Amino acid sequence: MRIPTLELEAQLIERTVERRNRIISEAEERARRIIQAAERECERIKAESERQVLTIISSELRAIRDRIVGRAIIEGRKMVMLAREEMISRVRMDVEKRLREIAEGKSGDVEYGRVLVRLIEEAASAIGGSEFIIAANRRDLEYLRGHLEEVEETLKGLLGEVKLELEEEPIEAVGGVIVRNRDGTKIYNNTLEGRLRKAWSRMEAEVAKKLELI
Amino acid sequence: MERVLDLSGRLQRILEEAEKAAEMKVEEARKRAEEMITRAKEEAENRRIRAQRGDGIEDLTRAEEERAKQEASRILEEYRARAERLRRVPEERFREAVEMVLGEVLPR
Repeated sequence: MRIPTLELEAQLIERTVERRNRIISEAEERARRIIQAAERECERIKAESERQVLTIISSELRAIRDRIVGRAIIEGRKMVMLAREEMISRVRMDVEKRLREIAEGKSGDVEYGRVLVRLIEEAASAIGGSEFIIAANRRDLEYLRGHLEEVEETLKGLLGEVKLELEEEPIEAVGGVIVRNRDGTKIYNNTLEGRLRKAWSRMEAEVAKKLELI
Repeated sequence: MERVLDLSGRLQRILEEAEKAAEMKVEEARKRAEEMITRAKEEAENRRIRAQRGDGIEDLTRAEEERAKQEASRILEEYRARAERLRRVPEERFREAVEMVLGEVLPR
Protein backbone atom coordinates (compact mmCIF):
# COMPACT_ATOMS: atom_id res chain seq x y z
CA MET A 1 0.00 0.00 0.00
CA ARG A 2 1.42 3.41 -0.94
CA ILE A 3 1.27 6.33 1.36
CA PRO A 4 0.54 9.55 -0.46
CA THR A 5 3.42 12.00 -0.52
CA LEU A 6 1.59 14.75 1.37
CA GLU A 7 0.75 12.47 4.20
CA LEU A 8 4.36 11.30 4.37
CA GLU A 9 5.50 14.88 4.54
CA ALA A 10 3.01 15.65 7.27
CA GLN A 11 4.23 12.69 9.33
CA LEU A 12 7.83 13.72 8.83
CA ILE A 13 7.08 17.29 9.94
CA GLU A 14 5.11 16.10 12.94
CA ARG A 15 7.88 13.76 14.11
CA THR A 16 10.50 16.44 13.61
CA VAL A 17 8.49 18.97 15.63
CA GLU A 18 8.01 16.42 18.40
CA ARG A 19 11.72 15.68 18.48
CA ARG A 20 12.58 19.38 18.41
CA ASN A 21 10.23 20.00 21.32
CA ARG A 22 11.72 17.09 23.22
CA ILE A 23 15.25 18.40 22.63
CA ILE A 24 14.23 21.82 23.95
CA SER A 25 12.30 20.53 26.94
CA GLU A 26 15.10 18.15 27.91
CA ALA A 27 17.54 21.03 27.72
CA GLU A 28 15.25 23.15 29.86
CA GLU A 29 15.01 20.37 32.40
CA ARG A 30 18.79 20.02 32.53
CA ALA A 31 19.17 23.78 32.89
CA ARG A 32 16.63 23.79 35.73
CA ARG A 33 18.51 21.01 37.51
CA ILE A 34 21.81 22.86 37.12
CA ILE A 35 20.30 25.99 38.69
CA GLN A 36 18.69 23.97 41.47
CA ALA A 37 22.03 22.33 42.27
CA ALA A 38 23.69 25.74 42.27
CA GLU A 39 21.05 27.09 44.63
CA ARG A 40 21.65 24.16 46.99
CA GLU A 41 25.37 24.78 46.83
CA CYS A 42 24.83 28.48 47.58
CA GLU A 43 22.72 27.54 50.60
CA ARG A 44 25.45 25.19 51.79
CA ILE A 45 28.12 27.88 51.36
CA LYS A 46 25.96 30.39 53.22
CA ALA A 47 25.26 27.95 56.07
CA GLU A 48 28.91 27.03 56.36
CA SER A 49 29.84 30.71 56.37
CA GLU A 50 27.27 31.44 59.10
CA ARG A 51 28.71 28.58 61.13
CA GLN A 52 32.19 29.99 60.74
CA VAL A 53 31.00 33.50 61.61
CA LEU A 54 29.31 32.13 64.73
CA THR A 55 32.55 30.48 65.75
CA ILE A 56 34.45 33.73 65.18
CA ILE A 57 32.05 35.81 67.28
CA SER A 58 31.14 33.11 69.79
CA SER A 59 32.92 34.85 72.65
CA GLU A 60 31.04 38.06 71.92
CA LEU A 61 27.71 36.20 71.81
CA ARG A 62 28.58 34.41 75.05
CA ALA A 63 29.33 37.76 76.67
CA ILE A 64 25.92 39.08 75.57
CA ARG A 65 24.17 36.04 76.96
CA ASP A 66 26.14 36.06 80.21
CA ARG A 67 25.39 39.75 80.74
CA ILE A 68 21.62 39.42 80.24
CA VAL A 69 21.08 36.01 81.82
CA GLY A 70 23.57 36.73 84.61
CA ARG A 71 21.66 39.87 85.58
CA ALA A 72 18.40 37.88 85.70
CA ILE A 73 19.98 35.23 87.91
CA ILE A 74 21.28 37.85 90.35
CA GLU A 75 17.90 39.58 90.42
CA GLY A 76 16.10 36.25 90.88
CA ARG A 77 18.36 35.17 93.72
CA LYS A 78 17.76 38.52 95.36
CA MET A 79 13.99 37.95 95.14
CA VAL A 80 14.32 34.54 96.77
CA MET A 81 16.68 35.89 99.43
CA LEU A 82 14.28 38.73 100.24
CA ALA A 83 11.36 36.30 100.54
CA ARG A 84 13.44 34.11 102.85
CA GLU A 85 14.54 37.10 104.97
CA GLU A 86 10.95 38.33 105.12
CA MET A 87 9.77 35.03 106.55
CA ILE A 88 12.66 34.70 109.02
CA SER A 89 12.25 38.27 110.13
CA ARG A 90 8.55 37.61 110.73
CA VAL A 91 9.52 34.85 113.19
CA ARG A 92 11.91 37.22 114.96
CA MET A 93 9.26 39.91 115.21
CA ASP A 94 6.75 37.38 116.56
CA VAL A 95 9.30 36.20 119.15
CA GLU A 96 9.99 39.80 120.21
CA LYS A 97 6.25 40.42 120.52
CA ARG A 98 5.82 37.27 122.62
CA LEU A 99 8.75 38.28 124.85
CA ARG A 100 7.17 41.70 125.42
CA GLU A 101 3.88 40.05 126.32
CA ILE A 102 5.62 37.63 128.68
CA ALA A 103 7.59 40.45 130.35
CA GLU A 104 4.42 42.50 130.73
CA GLY A 105 2.66 39.53 132.30
CA LYS A 106 0.19 39.28 129.43
CA SER A 107 1.11 35.72 128.57
CA GLY A 108 -1.05 33.22 130.31
CA ASP A 109 1.26 30.25 129.93
CA VAL A 110 4.50 31.78 131.29
CA GLU A 111 4.93 33.12 134.82
CA TYR A 112 7.35 35.99 134.33
CA GLY A 113 8.32 36.25 138.04
CA ARG A 114 9.80 32.77 137.85
CA VAL A 115 11.55 33.65 134.58
CA LEU A 116 13.15 36.66 136.27
CA VAL A 117 14.39 34.56 139.19
CA ARG A 118 15.84 32.00 136.78
CA LEU A 119 17.61 34.79 134.87
CA ILE A 120 19.15 36.16 138.09
CA GLU A 121 20.14 32.69 139.21
CA GLU A 122 21.78 31.89 135.89
CA ALA A 123 23.72 35.18 135.88
CA ALA A 124 24.78 34.89 139.53
CA SER A 125 25.85 31.32 139.03
CA ALA A 126 27.99 32.31 136.03
CA ILE A 127 29.61 35.26 137.87
CA GLY A 128 30.19 33.37 141.13
CA GLY A 129 30.41 34.87 144.64
CA SER A 130 27.61 35.87 146.94
CA GLU A 131 26.91 39.56 146.42
CA PHE A 132 25.26 40.78 143.29
CA ILE A 133 23.93 44.04 141.97
CA ILE A 134 21.00 43.76 139.63
CA ALA A 135 19.96 46.19 136.91
CA ALA A 136 16.59 45.85 135.19
CA ASN A 137 13.88 47.94 133.56
CA ARG A 138 11.56 50.04 135.66
CA ARG A 139 8.79 47.44 135.83
CA ASP A 140 11.09 44.56 136.74
CA LEU A 141 12.96 46.67 139.34
CA GLU A 142 9.64 47.42 140.95
CA TYR A 143 8.73 43.74 141.00
CA LEU A 144 12.12 42.76 142.41
CA ARG A 145 11.92 45.44 145.13
CA GLY A 146 8.70 43.88 146.28
CA HIS A 147 10.05 40.31 146.12
CA LEU A 148 13.76 40.71 146.90
CA GLU A 149 13.81 38.56 150.06
CA GLU A 150 11.75 35.92 148.35
CA VAL A 151 14.18 35.88 145.43
CA GLU A 152 17.17 35.68 147.79
CA GLU A 153 15.51 32.81 149.55
CA THR A 154 14.93 30.97 146.29
CA LEU A 155 18.55 31.53 145.23
CA LYS A 156 19.78 30.38 148.65
CA GLY A 157 18.40 26.96 147.94
CA LEU A 158 20.27 26.85 144.66
CA LEU A 159 23.46 28.89 145.17
CA GLY A 160 23.82 29.20 148.95
CA GLU A 161 23.63 32.46 150.90
CA VAL A 162 23.42 35.45 148.54
CA LYS A 163 22.94 39.17 148.94
CA LEU A 164 21.15 41.03 146.19
CA GLU A 165 21.06 44.76 145.59
CA LEU A 166 19.08 46.62 142.99
CA GLU A 167 20.41 49.46 140.84
CA GLU A 168 18.56 52.72 141.34
CA GLU A 169 18.46 53.66 137.66
CA PRO A 170 16.33 51.47 135.40
CA ILE A 171 17.78 50.19 132.14
CA GLU A 172 16.13 50.20 128.71
CA ALA A 173 15.14 46.61 128.16
CA VAL A 174 12.07 44.53 127.39
CA GLY A 175 12.84 42.38 130.39
CA GLY A 176 15.50 40.38 132.16
CA VAL A 177 18.47 41.56 134.15
CA ILE A 178 22.07 42.67 134.00
CA VAL A 179 23.88 41.26 137.00
CA ARG A 180 27.33 42.29 138.24
CA ASN A 181 29.49 41.54 141.21
CA ARG A 182 30.16 44.27 143.79
CA ASP A 183 33.43 45.55 142.32
CA GLY A 184 32.03 45.43 138.79
CA THR A 185 34.72 43.11 137.44
CA LYS A 186 32.16 40.62 136.22
CA ILE A 187 29.00 41.52 134.41
CA TYR A 188 26.42 39.14 132.98
CA ASN A 189 23.86 40.46 130.52
CA ASN A 190 20.80 38.32 130.92
CA THR A 191 18.22 40.66 129.42
CA LEU A 192 15.65 39.08 127.15
CA GLU A 193 17.06 41.07 124.20
CA GLY A 194 20.57 39.85 124.98
CA ARG A 195 19.41 36.27 125.18
CA LEU A 196 17.41 36.61 121.99
CA ARG A 197 20.45 38.06 120.21
CA LYS A 198 22.60 35.15 121.30
CA ALA A 199 19.96 32.54 120.57
CA TRP A 200 19.17 34.07 117.20
CA SER A 201 22.76 33.98 115.98
CA ARG A 202 22.80 30.28 116.83
CA MET A 203 19.36 29.45 115.54
CA GLU A 204 18.72 31.53 112.45
CA ALA A 205 19.63 28.67 110.12
CA GLU A 206 17.53 26.30 112.19
CA VAL A 207 14.56 28.66 111.94
CA ALA A 208 14.99 28.78 108.16
CA LYS A 209 15.05 24.99 108.12
CA LYS A 210 11.97 24.79 110.31
CA LEU A 211 10.12 27.06 107.88
CA GLU A 212 11.44 24.88 105.07
CA LEU A 213 13.13 27.87 103.48
CA ILE A 214 16.37 25.98 102.91
CA MET B 1 11.00 12.69 -4.59
CA GLU B 2 13.10 15.81 -4.89
CA ARG B 3 10.51 17.70 -2.87
CA VAL B 4 10.69 15.15 -0.05
CA LEU B 5 14.48 15.38 0.04
CA ASP B 6 14.27 19.14 0.19
CA LEU B 7 11.83 18.93 3.09
CA SER B 8 14.04 16.42 4.86
CA GLY B 9 16.98 18.80 4.59
CA ARG B 10 14.94 21.64 6.08
CA LEU B 11 13.70 19.46 8.94
CA GLN B 12 17.25 18.36 9.64
CA ARG B 13 18.24 22.02 9.98
CA ILE B 14 15.39 22.62 12.35
CA LEU B 15 16.65 19.79 14.53
CA GLU B 16 20.21 21.08 14.37
CA GLU B 17 19.03 24.52 15.40
CA ALA B 18 17.07 22.95 18.24
CA GLU B 19 20.22 21.11 19.37
CA LYS B 20 22.13 24.38 19.30
CA ALA B 21 19.41 26.19 21.22
CA ALA B 22 19.35 23.38 23.75
CA GLU B 23 23.09 23.50 24.20
CA MET B 24 22.88 27.24 24.64
CA LYS B 25 20.21 26.92 27.29
CA VAL B 26 22.31 24.41 29.24
CA GLU B 27 25.44 26.48 28.78
CA GLU B 28 23.63 29.60 30.02
CA ALA B 29 22.39 27.68 33.05
CA ARG B 30 25.93 26.46 33.77
CA LYS B 31 27.26 29.98 33.48
CA ARG B 32 24.54 31.35 35.72
CA ALA B 33 25.16 28.57 38.26
CA GLU B 34 28.87 29.34 38.31
CA GLU B 35 28.15 33.03 38.83
CA MET B 36 25.75 32.23 41.67
CA ILE B 37 28.30 30.04 43.41
CA THR B 38 31.12 32.53 42.89
CA ARG B 39 28.96 35.31 44.31
CA ALA B 40 27.93 33.16 47.29
CA LYS B 41 31.58 32.33 47.99
CA GLU B 42 32.56 36.00 47.78
CA GLU B 43 29.73 37.01 50.08
CA ALA B 44 30.67 34.29 52.55
CA GLU B 45 34.28 35.35 52.51
CA ASN B 46 33.34 39.01 52.98
CA ARG B 47 31.06 38.09 55.85
CA ARG B 48 33.85 36.14 57.52
CA ILE B 49 36.29 39.02 57.10
CA ARG B 50 33.77 41.54 58.43
CA ALA B 51 32.92 39.27 61.36
CA GLN B 52 36.61 39.08 62.22
CA ARG B 53 36.61 42.88 62.34
CA GLY B 54 33.38 42.88 64.33
CA ASP B 55 31.35 44.35 61.45
CA GLY B 56 28.07 43.12 60.05
CA ILE B 57 27.26 40.87 62.98
CA GLU B 58 24.46 43.02 64.36
CA ASP B 59 21.84 40.55 63.17
CA LEU B 60 23.55 37.75 65.08
CA THR B 61 24.14 39.79 68.22
CA ARG B 62 20.54 41.02 68.09
CA ALA B 63 19.28 37.45 67.74
CA GLU B 64 21.48 36.33 70.64
CA GLU B 65 20.27 39.25 72.72
CA GLU B 66 16.68 38.28 71.96
CA ARG B 67 17.32 34.65 72.92
CA ALA B 68 19.09 35.73 76.10
CA LYS B 69 16.21 38.06 77.02
CA GLN B 70 13.73 35.25 76.62
CA GLU B 71 15.87 32.97 78.77
CA ALA B 72 16.30 35.75 81.35
CA SER B 73 12.56 36.24 81.48
CA ARG B 74 12.01 32.52 82.02
CA ILE B 75 14.66 32.44 84.76
CA LEU B 76 13.13 35.43 86.52
CA GLU B 77 9.71 33.83 86.35
CA GLU B 78 11.09 30.67 87.98
CA TYR B 79 12.73 32.66 90.78
CA ARG B 80 9.56 34.72 91.24
CA ALA B 81 7.50 31.53 91.60
CA ARG B 82 10.07 30.15 94.03
CA ALA B 83 9.94 33.34 96.12
CA GLU B 84 6.14 33.12 96.17
CA ARG B 85 6.29 29.50 97.30
CA LEU B 86 8.66 30.50 100.12
CA ARG B 87 6.18 33.15 101.25
CA ARG B 88 3.43 30.57 101.60
CA VAL B 89 4.72 29.16 104.91
CA PRO B 90 1.83 27.59 106.85
CA GLU B 91 0.92 29.42 110.08
CA GLU B 92 1.48 26.27 112.07
CA ARG B 93 5.11 26.14 111.00
CA PHE B 94 5.54 29.78 112.00
CA ARG B 95 4.16 29.07 115.44
CA GLU B 96 6.49 26.11 115.83
CA ALA B 97 9.50 28.23 114.87
CA VAL B 98 8.49 30.96 117.33
CA GLU B 99 8.08 28.40 120.11
CA MET B 100 11.44 26.86 119.25
CA VAL B 101 13.23 30.21 119.60
CA LEU B 102 11.29 31.14 122.75
CA GLY B 103 12.31 27.83 124.24
CA GLU B 104 15.94 28.87 123.81
CA VAL B 105 15.52 32.46 124.97
CA LEU B 106 13.56 31.76 128.12
CA PRO B 107 15.49 29.99 130.85
CA ARG B 108 14.35 26.46 131.56
